[in-house]
Amino acid sequence: MSRSRWQVLAVAMSAAVLLSACGAGSRTAESSAAQVACDLPAPPQPVTVNVLAYNSSAIDPFTNTMVASCTTDQITVNHEPIDFAGQVQKTTATLAGDTGTYDIVETYGFVLPTLAAEDKLAPLDDFVAQFGEQYGLDGLDPAMREALSYDGKLYGLPMQAQMYVMAYRKDVFDALGLQPPTTFAEMRDAATAIQQAGEIPYPIALPLLASADISTAYDAALGSLGVDYVDAETRTPNFDAPEAVTAFEELRSLVPFMDPQVTTFDQPRVQQQMYNGSAAMAIMFSGRMNDLSQPTNSRFADQFAFAPPPSVGGGDVLYNSLSVDGWSIPANAAADPALLFQMIATAVGEDASRASVPAAFPAREGIVTADSSPYAAAALESIGQAPPAEPYPWTSRIANDTRTVVADVILGNTPIPDGLAQMQQIATEIVGEYPPQ
Amino acid sequence: MRRREFLAFVAPSVLVMGGLLLLPLYRTVEWSFERVNYGEDGEFVGLSNYGDALTDARLGQAVLFTVGLTVAVVAALLVGGYLLAVMVNRLGRAKPWVLGILLISYVVPHVVGATMFSWLFDANFGGVVNQLVTIVTGQEVLWFTDPWPNRVMVWLNTIWFMLPFSMLVIIAGLQGVSTEIIEAAKIDGAGPWRTHWNVIIPNIRGVLGFVAIISIMDILRTFDQLIPLSPQAVQIGNESIMLYIYNIAFQDGGQQLGLGSAVNVLLILLIGLMLFPFIRNVAREARQA
Repeated sequence: MSRSRWQVLAVAMSAAVLLSACGAGSRTAESSAAQVACDLPAPPQPVTVNVLAYNSSAIDPFTNTMVASCTTDQITVNHEPIDFAGQVQKTTATLAGDTGTYDIVETYGFVLPTLAAEDKLAPLDDFVAQFGEQYGLDGLDPAMREALSYDGKLYGLPMQAQMYVMAYRKDVFDALGLQPPTTFAEMRDAATAIQQAGEIPYPIALPLLASADISTAYDAALGSLGVDYVDAETRTPNFDAPEAVTAFEELRSLVPFMDPQVTTFDQPRVQQQMYNGSAAMAIMFSGRMNDLSQPTNSRFADQFAFAPPPSVGGGDVLYNSLSVDGWSIPANAAADPALLFQMIATAVGEDASRASVPAAFPAREGIVTADSSPYAAAALESIGQAPPAEPYPWTSRIANDTRTVVADVILGNTPIPDGLAQMQQIATEIVGEYPPQ
Repeated sequence: MRRREFLAFVAPSVLVMGGLLLLPLYRTVEWSFERVNYGEDGEFVGLSNYGDALTDARLGQAVLFTVGLTVAVVAALLVGGYLLAVMVNRLGRAKPWVLGILLISYVVPHVVGATMFSWLFDANFGGVVNQLVTIVTGQEVLWFTDPWPNRVMVWLNTIWFMLPFSMLVIIAGLQGVSTEIIEAAKIDGAGPWRTHWNVIIPNIRGVLGFVAIISIMDILRTFDQLIPLSPQAVQIGNESIMLYIYNIAFQDGGQQLGLGSAVNVLLILLIGLMLFPFIRNVAREARQA
């Protein structure tokens, strides 16, 4: 090989190595790991425990604490970085067969009933009875335990909750004499005033990504109007109810106040709008709020204030979505379930929960107070006025399968009545797959 | 070579080819006639999956988008790759460095490169291209939600990361062209244009065909760059065939492996169809050689 070709090869290989190193990402970050007591009995044989949990500032403290604290000479706890969509795929795959890749999986209230109904997860009640006192599990919020239960059995140990919180620019609101809106109508009025002031053409930022968040937004609007996807008693979908129309109309009424490309915005993109100062108010899950208050992220960090989200029509229930995350043990896990339970109990212990604030809103009662994080007061008010959970196996499937229709309606590609008729048909078929109990 | 030695040399290749190529292909065709969930035995459903796929207007739009992308980008790769290869081939000592720099976009993972590429067009990140276009045209172009601007952005990104491969292969072809033939053409009075068109390009026709074949196969499988570049692909008709397969079969933990397999089989047929003229040419040249 000539000298010049060696040079080409060297440059190319150097670039490849450099760039692949940049793109590979790091293994689980330990910066948010609290070292807590994880006094597990030594297993007779070395055990490897694989944990499946997506990476986010609200989940990482719990995952990292488990990995950092429960790894011993005899027990190896592994966790590889993964995004949320990847976790969803891997959860389906690992729970499918007689054996799986993961021994502990992070689950959440929206999808847990679907998995529990298919007997994919191990019920945890016996372990709670056995280890509850040792790990202080009675300190976990009963409502969050309920959110991770199905058919009267506990299938997930709650770790933290996320609920919608509104972040707004206090300096902009104060300058215009505005108060944080409590209804969608007030939000439109505030947005109009900000637009007319001329500085911020698109004052409202919502995560309305057409391939993900938009169905959560529609469900939150519907929930604020007091309607579930499906009437659980009659098993009839509610997309033919007048509130289903109102939910679409109200969401679409906000579109003129949002970036024209808002249906391509996920939560990080909405955060970016707030960081840049291109939006004056945003509604996102509470786990995103701590990032806003970091001066390293935005020059407006000290100008952000927090409030509960508004209600859609002025009722008591807010435009809100309460998502409870927790740890579950797959029914096909290879490791000793009692050992696995003690690990997840450790990860939701008091010390781990305290260490997770303010990045997370832990499931333990009394940990989050108005003094413990800048958005705590807003989050506490928000959680008390969230629409009730819809703990049914069809809920997540309806949300997924109607997402494209919701996006088309909000974009104006499909008239509201046509879209709702499609959604009613999709939901009816899904509910029909589940025999009445 | 003895028969035993022959088998010893050939068997590993056959095993690897069988395990990594033939078995998955067999399973794909088998599953395309079944309803399959992870970890469960398939249930034979005949042509139902094909019926579902072929009656879905989204698949038709995905085929149109993907074929359009393929035709536009392959044309750009052949023309742009040739021009770039000619220029780089003339460089002296700087050639290795220029080549190395040009190859960076080829080795960056698609989804990472596409994410960075999208920032050029994204006002949220101060997008340079976005701002320049707005200054020149006086209009705000919605690169992520308007179908044609979004298509152009996807085309540009695909050209950006595939052009180095095209250039590299064509450079190899150029280095194989006899200098005597080029000198003879010049002595006969051929200018630069005629030298390239009538002498060099016919000489490297096989190389250009190879670039076209590889590029067609790659672009028809476009998937990951669309995640950052076209987050609203379904609504604006910019869903590629592979993204369509993912969205209908696997998104959000979906398990429609049978339906996904049926569309995969259709994609293989489409790839064969689009490669047919090139493969026929290569075969014809091989026979003449």
